[in-house]
Amino acid sequence: MADYETVVGLEVHMQINTKSKVFCECSAKFGSEPNSNTCVICTSQPGAIPILNKKAVEAVVKTGLALNFTINKRCTFARKQYFYPDVPKNYQITQSDPPLCSGGKLAIIVGGKEKIVNIARIHLEEDAGKLVHEIGGKKLNYSLLDLNRAGVGLMELVTEPEISSPQEALEFLKELKNIVEYLETSECSMEEGKMRCDVNVSIRPVGQKEFGTRVEIKNMNSISGIRDAITYEVERQKEVLNSGGRLTQETRLWDAEERITKSMRSKEGALDYRYFPEPDLVPFDLMDSFVEELRKQVLELPKARKTRFMKDYGLSEYDAAYLTSVRMIADYYEESLNVLKNEKSGVLAKKFVVAAKTLANWISTELSAKLNASKTSIADAPVSSRNLAKLVSLILDGAISGKMAKTVFEEMYEKSTDPEMIVKEKGLMQISDESAIVKMCEEAVSESPKAVAEFKSGKERAVGAVIGLVMKKSKGQANPQLVNKILMEKLKT
Amino acid sequence: MDEILKIRVRNLRAKVCSGEIKSVEIVKACFKRIKEVDSKIKAFLKLDEEHSLKQAAQTDNKIKTGAECGSLEGIPIGIKDNIMIKGESMTSASKYLENYISPYNAAVIEKLKEAGAVFVGRTNMDEFAMGGSTEASAYQKTANPWNIERIPGGSSGGSASAVSSGMVPFALGSDTGGSIRQPAGFCGIVGYKPSYGLISRYGVCALASSFDQIGVLSKDVKDAALLTSVIAGEDYRDPVCCPGERIDYTSGIDNPDILKTVKIGIPKQLLDYKMDGEISECFSKAVNKLELEGATIAEIDIAAYKYVLALYKVIMCAEVSANIATFDGIRYGHRSSSGRNLNDEYAKSRAESLGYEVKKRILFGTYVLGAKNYYRCYHQAQKVRTLLINQINEAYKKCDFIFSPATLQMPVKFGETLSEECDIFVTAANLAGLPGITVPCSFVSSGMPMGVHFMGSRFSDAKLFQIANAFERISGFDLNKYPVL
Repeated sequence: MADYETVVGLEVHMQINTKSKVFCECSAKFGSEPNSNTCVICTSQPGAIPILNKKAVEAVVKTGLALNFTINKRCTFARKQYFYPDVPKNYQITQSDPPLCSGGKLAIIVGGKEKIVNIARIHLEEDAGKLVHEIGGKKLNYSLLDLNRAGVGLMELVTEPEISSPQEALEFLKELKNIVEYLETSECSMEEGKMRCDVNVSIRPVGQKEFGTRVEIKNMNSISGIRDAITYEVERQKEVLNSGGRLTQETRLWDAEERITKSMRSKEGALDYRYFPEPDLVPFDLMDSFVEELRKQVLELPKARKTRFMKDYGLSEYDAAYLTSVRMIADYYEESLNVLKNEKSGVLAKKFVVAAKTLANWISTELSAKLNASKTSIADAPVSSRNLAKLVSLILDGAISGKMAKTVFEEMYEKSTDPEMIVKEKGLMQISDESAIVKMCEEAVSESPKAVAEFKSGKERAVGAVIGLVMKKSKGQANPQLVNKILMEKLKT
Repeated sequence: MDEILKIRVRNLRAKVCSGEIKSVEIVKACFKRIKEVDSKIKAFLKLDEEHSLKQAAQTDNKIKTGAECGSLEGIPIGIKDNIMIKGESMTSASKYLENYISPYNAAVIEKLKEAGAVFVGRTNMDEFAMGGSTEASAYQKTANPWNIERIPGGSSGGSASAVSSGMVPFALGSDTGGSIRQPAGFCGIVGYKPSYGLISRYGVCALASSFDQIGVLSKDVKDAALLTSVIAGEDYRDPVCCPGERIDYTSGIDNPDILKTVKIGIPKQLLDYKMDGEISECFSKAVNKLELEGATIAEIDIAAYKYVLALYKVIMCAEVSANIATFDGIRYGHRSSSGRNLNDEYAKSRAESLGYEVKKRILFGTYVLGAKNYYRCYHQAQKVRTLLINQINEAYKKCDFIFSPATLQMPVKFGETLSEECDIFVTAANLAGLPGITVPCSFVSSGMPMGVHFMGSRFSDAKLFQIANAFERISGFDLNKYPVL
């Protein structure tokens, strides 16, 4: 049997993160009352004319700059014609040639090795509305049309057919999503349909130059679903070829429940979209200053930020990678760290690396566990970055123990309150007053003759019982390091 | 016919503002005339006398209180039925839009309202402005007031007939390939299409987006300039509408030196086409008159005129096929009750409600944009369009205006067809985005009027009004002669 290699190309649609639609002034908000975000333009009334949203152009150019694209100064639009009720004009305004961005690339890491994926283009276009065929699982004998999404800006990114495994596709999409979320040019949520991806899959015998027959897969609603669909499709194609069959150029749908792809339509049924230049939107040139201004706005991308976190904050690669994996987490971290810097400059100067590390730990363990459990985004975290900073500062000052901090954090998460308040209210302040601890230690030693005797006979672990007694006496508030130190002094003399 | 209807708009407005004439009197006179003659002409698709009189009465009350007088205060106007007036029907003379109510005002309507104009009624047209005779209206045929057995031209035939017969002092039209200037020629009035981008297209039902412009039909050039001053100007809602200060096209229109300094270009290509003998004669006389007044006459050579017809058809139909696609029966307009599935519903809704000419253009446009034909048809036409524009620009180095008859033949009887080349010298202005104006020239032996056409360079509209106004003065055409009906 022949050895095959996989060839994958991706077409990614991302909804552009602008307040209004791309060719009218309607809100682009998701989840509004059906047809409430519509006007004469996006419902295509007679005499309506599209007007271009400058912010949408900015978003596409910004994304292109971040992905090393060449920005085409000439901005032109085309009409792509097909009849469907969710496209009120019965043509979609899109870009043909040139697109706003040509020839970009994105580096991904697969199996520890870097691979550069070339991206052919990104162009700007409008989204379609939504047809509803059922309500509450009940199939209707008519269809309902919601045009809220019609005319929302989309950027379509098309890779070269250079992705050679399901895992590469997954990494590409994760990295792309991460960068675009960093740029805030799209929210990229696949659940809300703000990121959609069509996948072209073919296989060819290793060493063959010509591409095999290409199959387009649609209808995947998660990045892992895309990986699984490619995995399935590659196996399917291999089976067909190995059993002496022939592949047909077709569009297939991914069935997430059955975890298989199903044929939707063959290439023969492909539409002739009758593209032609959009006469309502005259071509114009982007000014150099416009592009340069956006270049300045292209923020630090995840990779650079990770390196900076390691260099400036002394974080491990693992911690830095976690924090920069999502822009909002990195922002939260830096906001919190700034609070520590500003308010505790003296303490922090000495313990900066400790503070940075402690804060990173709290975010990557306690906070992320809580957020994951309640499926909450860090943007909506009940614990503000300022309050988390205060908590860490209480720990670093020795005002509370690590164990107490966990109790305080529970309360902070429950009630969104200030840790200092909680500590005060609950009387959780750690006892670091040496004379008080000495007194408690003396009491505990005299009340635990057995443990003391064992300790003195060389059984060092026996000290635990004495420490426990001190902590009990202090209601858990004695500074454990101090207790340890004082007890040792007492017992060893 | 009431004498009030023979007063030019600028004078009427002055009289309304001074209180000498009431707007109500003018509107009443219009409706009286309409009742007398429109049963023969059929220029209007819809009239609302009560509403118009109410508007007029409001104007009169406003004048009484001494409020500021708008630049068209109290003047009745006819509106072609493809321009949106909020809350009113807008059919574009198509069955498809029979029950459609405009949800908004066109930019020009906003401006007219602000200026105080009174809307009298909606004028007939070829369906979706596709045609040159107004016979393609889904509702009625409009007659030429000078001979009611003949067509008024089109597609703004309703507006042209209404102005020509004195039912309204002026009207709005739209011009995609001569749709204002050709019927103006046939009906003996002034018809003006601005430079592409001078007047906002927002709210005019699109035919071919890269050619469409709203324009005006009036009895004389000064009234056309006055109306243009009101409706022209920037509008962010139409991306092709050019920014700039509002211009008063009436100021300087009487430029006394224009005829002595102007260079008039006569295209050599006029000889390549069959022209009505009397039109040819009248045109020659017109050229002589201009020359006598001091104008320099230059022969110009625009070889690409021979492509005007073909490239107009290809590009216009291509744009039509996309623009009309929105009329699918889904959101508004006619929906067939017998569709078996989505595609069948589309097909039936459109088949039942669109006329022959519309279907023909959709089919042709769909063909020229098909993947197999795009390069040899549409793309090629765009290249030839550029060639034509370049040749015209070259010609403007030798002249200021290109002068021709408005049409190469006289209006035909209903059911007869005009030659395809009849108005190519007018259509060229749309292809090149240039301003053009038809001015009445003389009456031919049958008693029907013929008009001439000046085409200027892009955004030379103010100067175009000057030359048209000067020609009107020397033409000898009796503007006060109205058709006997």
